[in-house]
Amino acid sequence: MFCEKAMELVRELHRAPEGQLPAFNEDGLRQVLEEMKALYEQNQSDVNEVKSGGQSDLIPTIKFRHCSLLRNRRCTVAYLYDRLLRIRALRWEYGSILPNALRFHMSAEEMEWFNHYKKSLATYMRSLGGDGGLDITQDMKPPKSLYIEVRCLKDYGEFEVDDGTSVLLKKNSQHFLPRWKCEQLVRQGILEHVLS
Amino acid sequence: MFVSDFRKEFYEVVQNQRVLLFVASDVDALCACKILQALFQCDHVQYTLVPVSGWQELETAFLEHKEQFHYFILINCGANVDLLDILQPDEDAIFFVCDTHRPVNVVNVYNDTQIKLLIKQDDDLEVPAYDDIFRDEEEGEEHSGNESDNGSEPSVKRTRLEEEIVAQTMKRRQRREWEARRRDILFDYEQYEYHGTSSAMVMFDLAWMMSKDLNDMLWWAIVGLTDQWVQDKITQMKYVTDIGILQRHVSRHNHRNEDEENSLSVDCTRISFDLPLKQVKQKFQSMDVSLKENLREMIEESANKFGMKDMRVQTFSIHFGFKHKFLASDVVFATMSLMESPEKDGSGTDNFIQALDSLSRSNLDKLYHGLELAKKQLRATQQTIASCLCTNLVISQGPFLYCSLMEGTPDIVLFSKPASLSLLSRHLLKSFVCSTKNRRCKLLPLVMAAPLSVEQGTVTVVGIPPETDSSDRKNFFGRAFEKAAEGTNSRTLHNHFDLSVIELKAEDRSKFLDALVSLLS
Repeated sequence: MFCEKAMELVRELHRAPEGQLPAFNEDGLRQVLEEMKALYEQNQSDVNEVKSGGQSDLIPTIKFRHCSLLRNRRCTVAYLYDRLLRIRALRWEYGSILPNALRFHMSAEEMEWFNHYKKSLATYMRSLGGDGGLDITQDMKPPKSLYIEVRCLKDYGEFEVDDGTSVLLKKNSQHFLPRWKCEQLVRQGILEHVLS
Repeated sequence: MFVSDFRKEFYEVVQNQRVLLFVASDVDALCACKILQALFQCDHVQYTLVPVSGWQELETAFLEHKEQFHYFILINCGANVDLLDILQPDEDAIFFVCDTHRPVNVVNVYNDTQIKLLIKQDDDLEVPAYDDIFRDEEEGEEHSGNESDNGSEPSVKRTRLEEEIVAQTMKRRQRREWEARRRDILFDYEQYEYHGTSSAMVMFDLAWMMSKDLNDMLWWAIVGLTDQWVQDKITQMKYVTDIGILQRHVSRHNHRNEDEENSLSVDCTRISFDLPLKQVKQKFQSMDVSLKENLREMIEESANKFGMKDMRVQTFSIHFGFKHKFLASDVVFATMSLMESPEKDGSGTDNFIQALDSLSRSNLDKLYHGLELAKKQLRATQQTIASCLCTNLVISQGPFLYCSLMEGTPDIVLFSKPASLSLLSRHLLKSFVCSTKNRRCKLLPLVMAAPLSVEQGTVTVVGIPPETDSSDRKNFFGRAFEKAAEGTNSRTLHNHFDLSVIELKAEDRSKFLDALVSLLS
């Protein structure tokens, strides 16, 4: 049946949970495009026949093939667009450097789109908030406090703070540091947020 | 130098800086630390907190962190030694020292640039005068003038030479006298160790001066002061005076009949035991109501039976919500037990963190855990004391009493840490004084030893001043231990901030004791 492959592409993306980017299904896309090409060529020859011969009983077939083409196009565009939306969300989740695993899941064009988006976002952020610009990708929810108390769970070593100076993170030492600096380490499990 | 305006010269200086906090391992230090942390969090002062339990840890931690900070705050450590000599800091490092250990080392007092003492000067400090201890080096030795005078008349030269010699001799003799006097003054000054105002109270005072004091901070100040009383670090009179000061703050914060969720109240009848009578197995709040009401009479009756004098002491209790009520001294015992519980891993910092957490209102489960540990500790203390007295383990060595706990005594592992061992020793001495018939022994101090580590063959030794009513709590064992160890080349470790607690190799025990006996006779 026509359009099966295109449906598979859509289903594959539908199955992937929000925020995840499955690998770029180059094969599937190629097959869909080949099917489209085949349908188009068949239609082309049939239309020529009808035009020259006047056989009007080919017209339903032509119409049918045309609908399949439209359906294929719709599915592929949906597939590509949804992937772009997910890639855009990655920028907000991971920052400007993506983990390698995710980068392999993107096609070259998607990578290019991502870079354009990054640049666009950076230009916008620089235009906000006075001289230094404002990093709006931090603090997705309004924070309760600018600084948090953290406790070090493992020996980590030196950790750089604002003005170039650094702090030595040793096990069981407690620190009171700006929230945004600690977030990554808290996520990694090296620091523990202490609620007093 | 002593800081006079705590707010301007200390708080406002560090407010825009990053600071490093070194906190010693005793309850008073923990309370002071909590108050300071609360202030820093309120004002967004970035800090790093490092627990230290002895001089070695302090030095190591300092070396690790010295590149990253310029401002260091030491709580309950560092006042009684020459800090600059021990730590060898850079010239731009500034130390704020809030410590109860006295006497304050003279170098710390007279250093104007790097050492700032957060100590109230109305504590009885008795610091020797500057000129008695320090003397600018005068460059004498003006011999160079004589050699060049070759051409002048011999007689004049000789007279001048004689005068110079006489002058030199006089100067040398004066110098020797000055140095002898200096040695005496320093010896008298540094002979006895004692403690000053609680650091927690000092910190609370700072908070109050800045109008940033809270009920919680007041509670920590109370716990800090109570810790000093529980560990017999301050005299009865000082305790009563300080309680009066805190009482005023309590009234200011907690009005009578106010419907607050948490309030501090003065509980006038807190009873302390010399010989712990019996442990109440049930939780106090689930006891029969009638039993609770009669408790006071019951205890007084028993007290009279045992011949104990009036044991009532003023202290504080706190209510959290409806269910949780704690007495300040209970919290002290709980925190102490948490901090000194025999732990699984090597470093003591885990316990420090547990104890620090338990002081927060939101960690009441840790406090209850600490209370259970404290009950165990007190029971063990009572049993050990009873057995020591029964088996006559306390013997007189002449100038002091001596008791040594053997490996294999039940619960011995609970007594290897300084605070627990000191508590045990003090109560043992009190009980011994009550029970002995020998009049002379009642006035003697006590030296107590308990095994610390079997693998390394070390024991912990503490020295306790004699038990008298009007004791000024001054302890000379710090210096005595040092001298005895030096004299006999015993392998000792004077690592604790309280110099009257040391570690000793078990094999050197007898020669160390002999030296101590001859030193103190």
